[in-house]
This record gives sequence, structure tokens and C-alpha cells, in this order.
Amino acid sequence: MHILIVEDEARLREHLRDRLRKNGYVVDVAADGEEGLYYGQEFPLDLAVIDIGLPKISGLELIRRFRSNGRHFPILILTARRNWRDKVEGLETGADDYLVKPFRFEELQARLNALLRRAAGWSKPVIDCGPISLDTGKQTVTVASNPVELTAFEYRVLEYLMLHAGQVVSKAELTDNIYDQDYDRNSNVLEVFIGRLRRKLDPDNRIEPIETLRGRGYRFRRETGREC
Amino acid sequence: MRSLQSRLLLAATLVLAGFIGATGLALDKAFQVSARASMQDRLQSYIYALLAAADEDDSGRMIPPQEIPEPRFSKPDSGLYAMIAAHDGRPLWHSHSLAGRSVDIARQQSPGQREFHLFSQAGMELYAISFGVAWEDYAKGETLYTFAVAEDTVALRAQIDSFRASLWSWLGAMAVVLLLAQGLILRWGLRPLRSVESDLHRIEQGRAEHLDGSYPKELTGLTSSLNSLIEHGKRVQTRYRNSLDDLAHSLKTPLAIMQSFCEQESAHTSQGRASLREQVRRMDEIIEHQLQRAAVSGPAALARSVLLQPVLERLVRSLDKVYRDKQVDVALDLDSGATFYGDEADLTEVLGNLLDNAYKYCLGKVRVRARCAPEGVSGQSLEISIEDDGQGIDPQMIDTVLQRGRRMDETVPGHGIGLSMAREIISVYGGELDIGSGSLGGALLRVRFAS
Repeated sequence: MHILIVEDEARLREHLRDRLRKNGYVVDVAADGEEGLYYGQEFPLDLAVIDIGLPKISGLELIRRFRSNGRHFPILILTARRNWRDKVEGLETGADDYLVKPFRFEELQARLNALLRRAAGWSKPVIDCGPISLDTGKQTVTVASNPVELTAFEYRVLEYLMLHAGQVVSKAELTDNIYDQDYDRNSNVLEVFIGRLRRKLDPDNRIEPIETLRGRGYRFRRETGREC
Repeated sequence: MRSLQSRLLLAATLVLAGFIGATGLALDKAFQVSARASMQDRLQSYIYALLAAADEDDSGRMIPPQEIPEPRFSKPDSGLYAMIAAHDGRPLWHSHSLAGRSVDIARQQSPGQREFHLFSQAGMELYAISFGVAWEDYAKGETLYTFAVAEDTVALRAQIDSFRASLWSWLGAMAVVLLLAQGLILRWGLRPLRSVESDLHRIEQGRAEHLDGSYPKELTGLTSSLNSLIEHGKRVQTRYRNSLDDLAHSLKTPLAIMQSFCEQESAHTSQGRASLREQVRRMDEIIEHQLQRAAVSGPAALARSVLLQPVLERLVRSLDKVYRDKQVDVALDLDSGATFYGDEADLTEVLGNLLDNAYKYCLGKVRVRARCAPEGVSGQSLEISIEDDGQGIDPQMIDTVLQRGRRMDETVPGHGIGLSMAREIISVYGGELDIGSGSLGGALLRVRFAS
């Protein structure tokens, strides 16, 4: 998942970037509205976190420009003001959710998950595909109600695949959403992750949730869970 | 033209000048007409006197008058002249006053006809009358003559000039008196404004609290509005001061805890971090609470009216977005034209907090009702109720919920200070917030504003 953070306060910006990267997101940061606009227009984003009080171009104006340029990724606004007039204005401008500073990182993470899930078309926080169940809120995975331990990167790969269940996800797309641009695309780390996921989710090779489509990528089987 | 006084004075002066000028011209004209008419009458009467003084000879033909009752006819250059001309214009006789002057004052007239004319001759300006006469002799033969009398206009002019002089000096004096009176009336009439100004000045200097003089009734609307504005400003100031005071003091406690905490060994344990986080949360809530309390505008001096419907619709649209997963079904049931008298931001804050609460705790349904009822002479009370189909609020918890900064349910994301904030704003407006249970099964929050 590719996330843009536009925040002028350097410490908060770096803190968010580091923690989100640690959780397996691809993160770009911008310190002002102009830079944010550039990133938002030039790169494919899955989500943007925008501070309202930005230099050069204000947060609200930035959102307005994104929306009028047909950019529809979900936007979470950060604001120091808690009053409803500002919240309503932000949401009417085109933001999808807001978070008031100061906030706990866990709170931000939960909101991001919910926005990403909704953007992928899932209205409930728990995605059930047959025996495999992924809770985007708690960020846990169970197979037939038994919890499965995953690393942050494994979880991110699985989440991306399950959010796009039934669709073909290319290797490049998956890599882009899990690593920064400078990642060596020829390495086989992704195959290693997929292999580990298969072993953890389906040790007996009974449900085979992840299909490999040679030369095209991977697909999380929809038929694995008819209730999807 | 900045000053009311000079505006009024200028206008009055222009009107007065126009009026007095027109009056003067009309009087002058009227006097000239009547002076001319009386001169014509006099000239005419001299003609009759001439006719009476004319004699006739044995055969009944006219002999020009020898003696005329008016002595000025006999005095040379007296300014009054007479003349008789034959029907062919040949002068037959003239008065002694015309002796030595070759002035022809007669103009041929047929019998019974007369003509007045003004003319200048030999350095004189004369006003003359010519009168046609048919003189019948005993043999029934008629001879035609023209009798003429002329008078110098010097006297007439002098009369008119002296009339004018006295007319304009009187009118001028009157204008001056009127303008003075006007100025005095204006000063007197505008004096209450000056006193308001000086009272305001005294308030600025801190020597008075509000406008307390007795003002004319045209000004009482203004002065009472000013008084409420001053009152409102003072209230806001007090609130700011109190908030700042409370803020500073209430931040001291968590700061003290953090301070002592820094000096302890446990600062780096996870328990230590949790305790630090707790203090940060507390400080955030304190700041938020005081900030919002200070930001409430409260009932303003000049009450603005805010329609409920658009405010609620905006909030519902926004909250629908935030709570998209819940697909909350909101029913708005508002009296048409339900209106809140106060600040829109305050109303948004109250309704935002209450609605957010309802969205947060409901299972899927929220109902908003607004009823307005007439109250008192011109007032209107407004009652807004917001209910949801959630679990409701335990009656024993109500006080806790309304306490500042307490969270009822730590696991639901949000800010516990919402309801207490709403109550604070409502109480600034002199309203009430009740918490009960409604027909949907969950909490029912009822706000009542008296007008």
C-alpha cells in the first residue's frame, strides 16, 4: 500500500513515516502543500494523510485540487482543532476521515486500515474468505478460528491479496505496495513471502488460497470463501 | 461631509438662501408693478386736469390751458411735462416746464385711445402717456388733438431703489437670525448624540461601566444595543480570563506528575510509558476543554438566527462519511423553520457532539426531532431531541458522562468530552440538556433553549 504523508512538523512526519514503513507500507513524505501536490499528481497513491495547517498550499486547498483533478484515493486529515465546523469543512471538501492531534499511532493505524479497506470495496472490517479470516482492525489472521502469526510484511502481502480477492495482482504491483521504489525488483523475496504465507495458512495444501498465474502474478481465490 | 451638524446646517442654509432669494425677487417685482401702475394713474389724472384747465373760444374751439393746478408744470425742468399736439403731430402747446427743450412727448392717438410709453430723449428717461381727444365746437365740427403728459423716471427709480435696499437688508437680517436659530436647534437636537459619545469615551477610559444616561427614545435602541454589546464583550473577556486561569492551573498537575516521573527509574518501562501517555491524554483534554469553553460565543447582543435544517444536514453528511461502515439510518423530523437564535458555530458544536455520540453508540438508527413553540410575548423556545437505538446510558452513569473529560467507553474511539462540552455551551445559552431513554431503545438526549 502506497501512502503519502503531508505534514509540516518534521518530527511528527518522520515518526509517522518510520512507523508506517515498519508496518509494511510504502511511504512518501512531503513537508508542504506544493510538494504534497506533486507527489499526489505524479505517483499512484492508495491513501494520503494530510495536515490541515500546511505552508504554501493549505491542507483543504490541497484536497480540493486533488479532487478536482480526479484523484480519488482516500484522504485522512490531521487537525489540531477539534471543533465541528472545521471537521465538517474538511469532510465536505473531500476528505474521508479526520484525526485530531495529538493522537496515538494505533488510532491512526486503525483509521488508515478502515479507509484502505473501504476503498477496496469491503464495508466490514473483517474479510472472510472461507476458513481464512482477516481482521483489518485488529490486524490479525485466523484460519478456521485458529490464530496465525504473521510478520508485518507477510500481513501486508496477505492483506493486499485479500482486499483484491478474485483479481490478478501482478508481482510488480505487489512489490510496489510493499517496498519503496529503490527495491531490487529482481530479487525473489516476494516469492519467499508467498511461500511462507502458503505454509502458514495452509500447511496441509488443502485449500490452496493463493494461486500463481505464471507470468501474470498471484490471485487470492474467491472460491475459497463464497461469502466474500 | 462627515459631520451631521454641518450636513444639516449646509442643507438648511441652501434652502433658506433659495427661499429668501425667491421671496425677495417676488416682492421686488410686485413693488415695481404697483409703482408703475400708480404712476400711470397719476399721469392719467394729469391728463384730466389738463382737459379741465383747457378753455374754449366763442365758437367752441379749444384754447390751451393757461393755468394748471399742478405747479410743477410751470417750473422749468421740474421733471413733469405736458404737451398738446394737433392731429397731424404738430405741437400746439407745451407746459412751461418743457420750455427750451425740443422734446416731443406726444404720440398720435385717435380719440379715446391712450398709450403709455417709456423713452429716453435728451439725456432724460421719461415715462409718458398720450391721450387722443376729439374737441367738438358749436358748429358740430370736430378737431382732433393728442394730449400728452410725461414724467421723469428719476423719482420712480429712487423709490424702487430705496424699497430694494430696505427689502434686502430686512431679508438678510432675517436669514441671519434664522440660521442662528437653526444652528442652535441643531446643537440642541444633536446634544444626546454628543452625550452618548462622551459616555462611550468614559467607558473607554474605564470611568463608567455602561451607557446609563437618559437618552431620547430614538436613541434608546442604539444605546441598549451598545450596552448589550459591551456586556457581551465583558462576558467573553471574563470567560477568556477564567479559561486561561483554569488552563494554566489544571496543566500544572499533569506537568508535576511528569516532572517527578522523569526523576524516577521507571521512566523507560512500558508501565512508565503508559503513565506518561495518560498524562498526555489528560493535558490534551484539559486544553481542549478550556479552549472550547473559551471559544463559545454565547448569546450575542444582536441575536442572529440560524436555521436548524442546513446545519443538521451538513453534520449528517459528514458523519455519514466518517461512520460509513455503520450505514446509519438518520431520520430528521424538524418543525418547518425551526430556528436557533445564537451563533452558528456554537449550534454546530452542540449538534455535532450530540450527533457524533448518537452515531457512535447506535446500532443503526438515529432520530433527530426539533420542535419550536411560541413562548412569552415574542419569544420562541426550541427543543431538539436526538435518540439512537444503542444500549442507552446507565442512569447512574449520567453524571459521570457529563463530567468534563471523562470517557464512558474507553474502547470506542473518540473524545469523552463531547457531551460535557455540549452541555457547557447549552448552559451558556441558558438552556438545558437532559439524558433519558427514548422509544428507539437507546439514549435520548434532549436540548431545550428558551428564547
